[in-house]
Amino acid sequence: MPMLDIKNLTLEIDNGSTRVKALDKVNLTVNSGEIRALVGESGSGKSLMVQAISGALPPQWKVTADRMSWHGKNMLSMTAKERRELMRRDIGVVFQDSITSMDPSMTLGQQLEEAIPDELVNGKWFWQRSLDRRKTAINTVHKVGIKNHKHYLNAYPHQVPTDIGQKFMIAMALISQPKLLIADDPTRGMETTTKTKVLKLFTRLNQTKSLSILFVSHDLLAIASMSHTMTVLYCGQTVESGKMKHIRKRPLHPYTKALIDSAPSFRADLPPKSVLPSLDGTIPSLQHVPIGCRLGPRCPRAQRACVSTPGVRRIHDHTYSCHFPLHMEKL
Amino acid sequence: MIQILIRYATLFITTMLVLAALSFSLAYLFPGDVLVNLTGITPQNETERAALLRQFQLDKPYLFQFIHYVQQLLQGNWGYSFVSGLPLREEIGIAMPATIELSAYALFVAIFVGVPLGCYAGMRSYTKRDYLINSASMVSYSFPVFWLALVFIMVFSLNLGIVPLSGRVSLLFDVPPTTGFILIDIIIAENTDTSLALNDALYHLLLPTISIALVSTASVVRLTRRSVIDVLKSPYIAAAESRGLSRVQIFRRHILRNALLPILPLMAIQITTLITNAMIVETLFSWPGIGNWLIQAIYQRDYPALRVGMLAVATLVVSFTILIDLFNRIIDPSREKYERGTV
Repeated sequence: MPMLDIKNLTLEIDNGSTRVKALDKVNLTVNSGEIRALVGESGSGKSLMVQAISGALPPQWKVTADRMSWHGKNMLSMTAKERRELMRRDIGVVFQDSITSMDPSMTLGQQLEEAIPDELVNGKWFWQRSLDRRKTAINTVHKVGIKNHKHYLNAYPHQVPTDIGQKFMIAMALISQPKLLIADDPTRGMETTTKTKVLKLFTRLNQTKSLSILFVSHDLLAIASMSHTMTVLYCGQTVESGKMKHIRKRPLHPYTKALIDSAPSFRADLPPKSVLPSLDGTIPSLQHVPIGCRLGPRCPRAQRACVSTPGVRRIHDHTYSCHFPLHMEKL
Repeated sequence: MIQILIRYATLFITTMLVLAALSFSLAYLFPGDVLVNLTGITPQNETERAALLRQFQLDKPYLFQFIHYVQQLLQGNWGYSFVSGLPLREEIGIAMPATIELSAYALFVAIFVGVPLGCYAGMRSYTKRDYLINSASMVSYSFPVFWLALVFIMVFSLNLGIVPLSGRVSLLFDVPPTTGFILIDIIIAENTDTSLALNDALYHLLLPTISIALVSTASVVRLTRRSVIDVLKSPYIAAAESRGLSRVQIFRRHILRNALLPILPLMAIQITTLITNAMIVETLFSWPGIGNWLIQAIYQRDYPALRVGMLAVATLVVSFTILIDLFNRIIDPSREKYERGTV
């Protein structure tokens, strides 16, 4: 049984006069111990997905799903208390914009200590417990690669650089020892060496503590190096999902192919100074999404049938939603 | 820290100098003799007049006159009242604490009723209870204070007769004005029944405090509600929710502080309204405060009193505003160190 299983999740945003479907029947599963990458360009709804899972939704958002379960328990019909308990202990979330995701009037240390669940704190008396909290906080901060803990634990969010804020977000998510880490673009704004360190930390945690990770990013190189499976999102629809190596070798959906082709590091045969291939046009805004397959107007293989939404098709554990997939003859 | 204090001290001194200059120019702008306007002493003959002119350096250029005026102000020689002939410093020393007392209680009510109500409305935003609180505050905010006070007097004093009509304490109690704050004076006073007198003074306080507090409470409710709603929308609340904190924990640890920090300077602006309202209400309830005193001075064309009274009220407002802003600056970590002080 998958750890997190989401089927046909639809997220509607009520913007006063009209309703837009920001996510349209998205499927996502995360198995225990795997690193699942969630990929898509900006505006494809990756961060919305993270928010829908974490449950912190503004009142004008409406989430419906055929299935949204955590170890077989339905997340949508949980009481608020059960849901909180799940988020507190089992799921850790790293949000995209780290500095604004932290309370501006509290020091980073206070916020980090607040995120430690009470049952993980040793000691009987409050001073012993606060010392233990401090120790745990310092350990976690070291683990995510911040050396100067004394300075940063006493700093306020607006006083630290973005990458330190990002690392603190990661520390806050990891400090409750979750089973699933949802990381929304965790390496944004970091330079390459720090980025590598953070990614290595993720891989190590995945291997030693069998932490499952939902890695949301558009950094294909990082994703390819660490993740086991991948789900591609385009404009609020799941396009393709399957094992990393299968998708890399033989993408079935034209969008996945375009996405992989646009990353130069995947193309050993690319001659110097040649034009990078890309799809024409841009991702449509949520108010003007095309009917049917949302890639339709940009798709090089689009035909008349594409005005109706393609259903999910499956070849072993590789799923895709396209009427005219690529590489079919080889399968 | 010291730099911030210096900044605010400079701001305070500059503002005070401008106010003193305004008050000094009033002596020339008011009709009548400059000497009389400035000192409150009417010379009996020409020799006395010349002597007084020399004493107050009014024969020198304006700048020296002004410097002398500021010196006199600092030494406590604020001139004499036309009408009573008493030193103005003493009169203001009795009237000012009465106003401060009344405003302080009104502010107290406004904060201790307004902030919780505003937080409640903000947390339950766009529900029936929120609409109820919001519209009630809108209604009470739009009442003219003098009209409201008159209605209160009519209903509670004249028709129902549950609270006294005017004054601070019944004349039966002999309370000497030591500090000027009636409740403290009663406790200090020796030969009165303290509990009876306190009870009586509180009854006297009830109506004026409520009529001032209603408007201020309404604005505090609205400010707090708006601020709480804004904080609720911010990403760090969503992040805190995703960490599995309960609603109460989030409110206590993250919402309350972040909602109250930005409205503190706005409350400082409310102080001006509060004191103005207090002055209007004083007149209606014959409360012996600075507002009542100033109105009497206007009626009696007591120019020296008007001049110093304006300066005293302005000083009070400016110092409160600057102090609150300074306090906010010290407790709010997100305000920049190099930000300028403002009134």
